[in-house]
Amino acid sequence: MDALVEDFAARRPSGLESAYALWSSAFISVARHALSDRALAEDCVHDALLRVWRAPNRFAGNRAMLKAYLVASVRNESLSMLRGQSRRDARELKAVRLMPESDNDPPAVDPVESERVRAALARLPEEQRAALELAYYGNKTHVQISQALGVPLGTIKSRIAMAMRKLQTELAVPEEARR
Amino acid sequence: MTGHLDDDAELYPLGVLDDVAARAVERHIASCRTCAERVTQAGLVAASLASTLPAAQPSPALARRLNDAVRPQTDDGARRPKSMFAGFALAAAFALASIGLGWRMLDLHSRLAADDLALVTLVHSHFNHVSMTPESANPVAAKVLYARDGSWVYIIADQPRGTLHVVTRTAAAGGDAGILVGSGRTATLLLRPVARIESLSLQRDGTDVASARLAYEGRR
Repeated sequence: MDALVEDFAARRPSGLESAYALWSSAFISVARHALSDRALAEDCVHDALLRVWRAPNRFAGNRAMLKAYLVASVRNESLSMLRGQSRRDARELKAVRLMPESDNDPPAVDPVESERVRAALARLPEEQRAALELAYYGNKTHVQISQALGVPLGTIKSRIAMAMRKLQTELAVPEEARR
Repeated sequence: MTGHLDDDAELYPLGVLDDVAARAVERHIASCRTCAERVTQAGLVAASLASTLPAAQPSPALARRLNDAVRPQTDDGARRPKSMFAGFALAAAFALASIGLGWRMLDLHSRLAADDLALVTLVHSHFNHVSMTPESANPVAAKVLYARDGSWVYIIADQPRGTLHVVTRTAAAGGDAGILVGSGRTATLLLRPVARIESLSLQRDGTDVASARLAYEGRR
């Protein structure tokens, strides 16, 4: 087994430290996307990583899966904080932020992978892409997306799920193989 | 729950489900490998989506908070004041650079918090340092800084390749103390041993690539 994964699963501090050293930029970027406050975003990453690290028996997989698991944990934590904050403050969720496209935007977490993902997104049917972008970049729940688009909840869930399955297939194929 | 998950398996990693639906997914995949695999694959897609987000960097304080939370107390069991414990690694790094070892990789301006500065003087007067001896055809350049009373040991390697394990030996025992954690061109590890470390080595794939003996004056 990968030493990093083994250390993480065994709850060795070095496992968490190594994962953080490799992927801290991704973690904080995901948290900042939902939580504009930097301190709150760092609290989110801190809490999410510690919770996962302290319950390592729930993870078994390779390094890519560990990264995905941790990124998903940070995202879920940030969305919980965002929605909890919204409920407490009775404020609107943050304005929808679609995928950054402007030249003035900061560089992506992983520019190479980012281009591959953007290309795959662009190949999705419009209605699937719109639902997925509202879900991921807009931080909306499926219920909110259903209301925003005026489309039944079941249809929204199907569109997002189909988009995810297509992306899974698209991203599994190297970009060079398409040319 | 019978059967398999519906579209919720693909929606779960996106964080779009409400709490009730999300908990239902978690309960189901705990006992269903097929759906657990679907959630895992969807999670990989969600992680790819994260690559498109604007890059951001955490503050150095976050790494120290995490380190504080996961490193067990191994000396007398008493936790030192938080800022002091957290500052040792950075203070040692600052000391390393300031005594002229000449490595360019220490981006101290960004890494050294203002409240660590007071520790530099403290560390200067309480530590020794030694270069590690290469032990293989593919050695690693590494140094060891350590407290004169043996209460902490800081290992720093320059441009390490692969995973480096730190193996320590005391008068009574020895063993794997952890792996060096990469940061830019360097990798480091801070140890707080219970007993004085007499020697240590760096191992790559089970083979020593560098070693050092630590010398002390007087009793701890």
